[in-house]
Amino acid sequence: MLDLSSFNNLQLDAIREVGNIGTGNAATALSKLLSCMIDMDVPKADLVSIYSLSEYYGDPDSTVAAVFVRSLGEFGCSLIFIQDEEDSALMVDLLLREQFGGSPPGDLQQEMLDSALSEVGNIILSSFLNAINMLIGTRHQISVPGVAHDMLASILDVVVSIFGQMGDMALVVNTELRIGGSEKDDRRISGNIVMLPDPNALELLLRKLQVL
Amino acid sequence: MENAYHVGMADLIVVSAPAKLITLGLGSCIGLVIFDSTAKIAGMAHIMLPDSRGGKTAEKVGKFADIAVPSVIDEMIKKGASKARMKAKIAGGAQMFALPDASTDFLSVGSRNVKETTAMLTKAGVPLVASDTGGNKGRTVEFSTTTWILTIKTLGKGTTEI
Repeated sequence: MLDLSSFNNLQLDAIREVGNIGTGNAATALSKLLSCMIDMDVPKADLVSIYSLSEYYGDPDSTVAAVFVRSLGEFGCSLIFIQDEEDSALMVDLLLREQFGGSPPGDLQQEMLDSALSEVGNIILSSFLNAINMLIGTRHQISVPGVAHDMLASILDVVVSIFGQMGDMALVVNTELRIGGSEKDDRRISGNIVMLPDPNALELLLRKLQVL
Repeated sequence: MENAYHVGMADLIVVSAPAKLITLGLGSCIGLVIFDSTAKIAGMAHIMLPDSRGGKTAEKVGKFADIAVPSVIDEMIKKGASKARMKAKIAGGAQMFALPDASTDFLSVGSRNVKETTAMLTKAGVPLVASDTGGNKGRTVEFSTTTWILTIKTLGKGTTEI
């Protein structure tokens, strides 16, 4: 198994590039879905101590909405799309307005809203994964998405339990997507894609990228 | 005035009363409290994973249930607690995401944490007097050495005391 503490800059750079390709594809998909401009940041690939992971992302106690998918196949990997609860609600509203022609019914149930959120998350995360698998030439299958609304620290326990088994560090690829405001409403909506390659998948990824 | 101690991920803290032990946002992790109300000593561990076997050496004693449980007990005895009077309470061990597909074993780490922590307590002979575990919601917990009550806050469900 790879020792994360011995990662060099070239390897981190390669993984950052993978994140970049994934994000580009995800941004395009989201842009088509919502018919609006999407901005993206240059992704970051960081090694973070699992003991301070929630501080790395923000306030451990803050409420977030998250969509989780698992990629099965040669390149095993988990992906989480995390947003502030408020941003997530705005994004879902934007999607529903698109679908209902400007005025979504006001009394939609939480399940319906979650279903919309999981679909957006699913599209973002699948596009991200498709790009990566295309790049390294692997086949994959994506699980049904899971949605959770909870404290940031609780959500990140998923990450911690994956990386905790192999050591103290987590390799996280982070990228931010921002949905630009339309003319009447300039509120920007942000979301973070967190990519968590399985320990043995990481080795495969680095080998395919010829940095191992 | 009670001093408040934040027990971080994989940390273990033992205190003498009066004090408050706090852990934020437990998802699949376990908040374990062991206390001796006569000696007025309490310990809390933020357990991440069930067992240390197959992993590297434990970097932090609170990380794995099989090491954390005996460590809390030992630390408490060092401070003057008696093992015979010790009682335990646990909270946490939720499963944050549920996917219907296969090969998502790692998502159920919460229930394995509960199982292993409970088994270790039984092995050590410390009675588990109260617990609030499982489900799919994160928990923030606070233990008071004045009342020996563990207060649990869950998003959207309010507060419970055990």
